Amino acid sequence: MAQNEMLAMILAGGRGSRLKDLTTKVAKPAVFYGGKYRIIDFPLSNCANSGIDVVGVLTQYESVLLNSYVAQDGRWGLDSKDSGVYVLTPREKADQGLDVFRGTADAISQNIDFIDTYDPEYLLILSGDHIYKMNYSKMLDYHKQMHADATIAVRGVPMREASRFGIMNTDGKGKIIEFEEKPAKPKSNLASMGIYIFSWKLLRKMLIEDMKNPDSDHDFGKDIIPRMLNEKRGLFAYEFKGYWKDVGTIDSLWEANMDLLDPKNPLNLNDSSWLIYTEDVSTLPQYIGKDAKIKKAYITQGVRVEGSVTNSVLFTGAVIGKGAKVVDSVIMPGVVIEEGATVTRALVAEGVRIGKRARIGSKNSENIELVAKNVKGGTK
Amino acid sequence: MAVKAFGIVSSADNSIHVEGLHDYRPIGAFSFLGRFRVIDFPISNMSNSDINRIQVYVRSRPRSIAEHVGSGRHYNINSKRGKIQLLFSENSSTRSIYNNDISAYMDNIDIIQRMHQEYVIIAPSYMVYKQDYRQLLETHVASGADVTLLYHKVDNAREYFKNCHTVSVNKQKGVQSIDKNLGTANSKNIFMDTYCMHRDVFVELVKAASWMSSMYTLADIVNLKCKDMDVRAFQHRGYFATLTSLEDYFNASMELLNYDIASDLLRSEWPIYTRTTDACPTQYFESAKVNNSFVSNGCLIEGSIENSIIGRSVTIKKGAVIKNSIIMAYSTIEEGVHIENAIVDKWAHIIHAKNIRGEADAPQYIKRQDTL
Repeated sequence: MAQNEMLAMILAGGRGSRLKDLTTKVAKPAVFYGGKYRIIDFPLSNCANSGIDVVGVLTQYESVLLNSYVAQDGRWGLDSKDSGVYVLTPREKADQGLDVFRGTADAISQNIDFIDTYDPEYLLILSGDHIYKMNYSKMLDYHKQMHADATIAVRGVPMREASRFGIMNTDGKGKIIEFEEKPAKPKSNLASMGIYIFSWKLLRKMLIEDMKNPDSDHDFGKDIIPRMLNEKRGLFAYEFKGYWKDVGTIDSLWEANMDLLDPKNPLNLNDSSWLIYTEDVSTLPQYIGKDAKIKKAYITQGVRVEGSVTNSVLFTGAVIGKGAKVVDSVIMPGVVIEEGATVTRALVAEGVRIGKRARIGSKNSENIELVAKNVKGGTK
Repeated sequence: MAVKAFGIVSSADNSIHVEGLHDYRPIGAFSFLGRFRVIDFPISNMSNSDINRIQVYVRSRPRSIAEHVGSGRHYNINSKRGKIQLLFSENSSTRSIYNNDISAYMDNIDIIQRMHQEYVIIAPSYMVYKQDYRQLLETHVASGADVTLLYHKVDNAREYFKNCHTVSVNKQKGVQSIDKNLGTANSKNIFMDTYCMHRDVFVELVKAASWMSSMYTLADIVNLKCKDMDVRAFQHRGYFATLTSLEDYFNASMELLNYDIASDLLRSEWPIYTRTTDACPTQYFESAKVNNSFVSNGCLIEGSIENSIIGRSVTIKKGAVIKNSIIMAYSTIEEGVHIENAIVDKWAHIIHAKNIRGEADAPQYIKRQDTL
C-alpha cells in the first residue's frame, strides 16, 4: 500500500458497562480474550496485516492501562520508521476548553489536525472492541472500485434478530439507499459492523460542519451517515462473511471464548498467514502436572495445571491446583484455583484467588457466574 | 543502569559435537524447554545484569542464530545505549583445528579494543544456568584478581559433563589449573566456561595465546597463566546444564520436568527472554491425555503425552503416544505412532514408522524435516 494512503482510527473510548466488574478499572477494548489476547489486539493486528502503517487509538474511559498498552506499537509490528500507534485522548486546545469526545464523529473531528499531518486519501474507522479477522485492504479495493464516498462493512444476521441492529438497505448492487437503526420491521438483514472507509476530503468537510451543528449528536450512525444519504452521496455496503463478535455481556464474552474450543471454529487463531499479535510475556511453557486431566481445553503459556480441566479456556499464568476441577469456564490471567476447588460455568477475572475446596457456579445456571473478587476456601 | 562490563557469548569449541541436532545449527540455536533457544539464557543473564553491549560469536551456520537474536530488542537491550553484535570468525570451516575461540577473537580484536566498558564477561552459548553477572563482577573487582572463573560443584562427573573442563581450586578460591574432565571422579568442580576480567587482560591473553599456538583456546592460555596470574574461582549455585552431547541435552531437558526446578530457573524477577512466534494458545481435544509435560503454544493435541517436552505448533494426532521424549517445533505425529525416549527435530513428520524407541540413556534422534 502506498505511504499513508489510508489511515486507521480506532474508537476505543467505550466503557462496556454490561461487562460489570471486568470494566470498572479498564476500558472494554483492554478486556482479555482467548487465553493470551486483549480485544484491541484484533483491530490492531488486522491493521498491521492489512498493510496500514499509522493507527490512531481514541481513548477516553479508564484509559491509563489501555493507553500504555497500545503505545507499545512494536507488539503489532507497527514500529517501523513511517508507522506507529498513536494514543489520542481528549485535550485542551488554544481556542476552546478541554472537552470530552461528544460522540464517535466528534472523536475524529477533535483530531483532524492529527490526521492532516499524514494527509491520507482515505480514512478507516474501526471499533476497538470487536473480535474478528478482516483484511481492510480488500475493503479499500472495493471502496475504490465503487468510486464510493463511504463504504460500510456489513454482515448478514438472522432476519428475526435484525431489529436489534443498525440495518443497511441496498439497491441490490451494494449501493446503500436507506439506513434504519433497530427497525421494527427490517427490510434487510445486513447489519452495520461499525467499520467505515471514508474518502477523507469529503468527511473532513462534513465533520467541520457537524462540529458546529448544535442539533447533532456528533455520531457516525446517527448523524454523519444519514446526512450523507440525504445528500445522495455514494454509500456502499461491503459484506463480510467471517467470524465477528461484539462481546457486550459476560455471557457473550464467555461464549466467544468457548467458540475457540470448537476444532472447526471459523476464527482460527492458528492461521500463520494472519496472526493476531499481542503483548509478549517471559514465562515457562504451559505445564500439565502428573495427575492432571485435560479434556477439551484452550491453554496458553505460563499456565500450570495439576487438577482437572474440561471444556475451558485458561489464560497466561493461571494455576489450577491438585484435585481442583474447572468445567465450562474462562479463567483469566494469573488466577489461582487452589486444591480441591470446583469452578463450573464461570468467568474468573484476572488475578482472583479461589480458596481450597470452594465451590463456584453450577452446571445448570442460566447465566455465567462472574467471579471478580477472591473467594475464601470451603469447609468440606 | 548499565554496568562497566560488556558481554561476550562464546561459541562451542570445535571438539564439541552433538549428534544430529548440531548438523543443522550451533548449540546456541538448539531449542530448549519447548519455547526457548539455548542462547536465550546467556543473553538474558547479561541483559538482566544490566550488560547493554553484547557480542555473540558464531562459528558456523549463522542463519538460525542471526534470525533468532536479530536486533536484540526482545532481550530488553536498550535500543540506543545498547547493542547486540553478531561476530563471525573468518576461519569458518567448522571442524578445522584453527577454528577456535582465540582465532575468532583475533579476527575481531579491533572491535573488542574499541569497547568503552572496562571489563568483559564471557559466557558460553552451550550451557544453561542463571547468574547475576553483577555479583561476579563485584567479587572480581573487589578481589583484585586478574581473572575470575565461574564453576559449579557436581557429584556425577564420571557419567556427565564429558567434553567439559574442571577447575582445581585451593582454599583461597585460587585456581591451580584447568583440565579436561576425564571422568575419573564423581566429585568435580566443572568450569562453566564463564570468565570475568579486565578488557586489557583479555586482549593480552588472546594475543599471547595466538602468538604461542594457533591451536590454543582461551581456557588453554588461562590454564597456562594460572601460575603467574591471580586467577580465582566463583561458585555458581542452582540449575546448571551443559548441552555438549545428545545425552547431556536430553538429561538437562528431562530434569526440568520437575516443576520446582523449572520454575526456579524461570523466576519472574529474572526473566528469560525469547523471540515470540505469536502462536496462539494450544488446543487440547476430547481424546487428549497429558501428564507431567511442558507444552508450548500453537499445538493441536489429540493423543497422549507423558514426561515430555513439546515445542511450538506441534500436532499430535489421535492414538499417538509420546513418552519421555522431546518433540521440536512444527512436527506432526500421526495417528497410532508410539514414540519413547526420542528427540524429534523440527518439521519432522512421523507417519509410517509406528514405533520409535530409544533408551533412557541413549535417546533416538529423528532428523529435521524427516518423514518416517
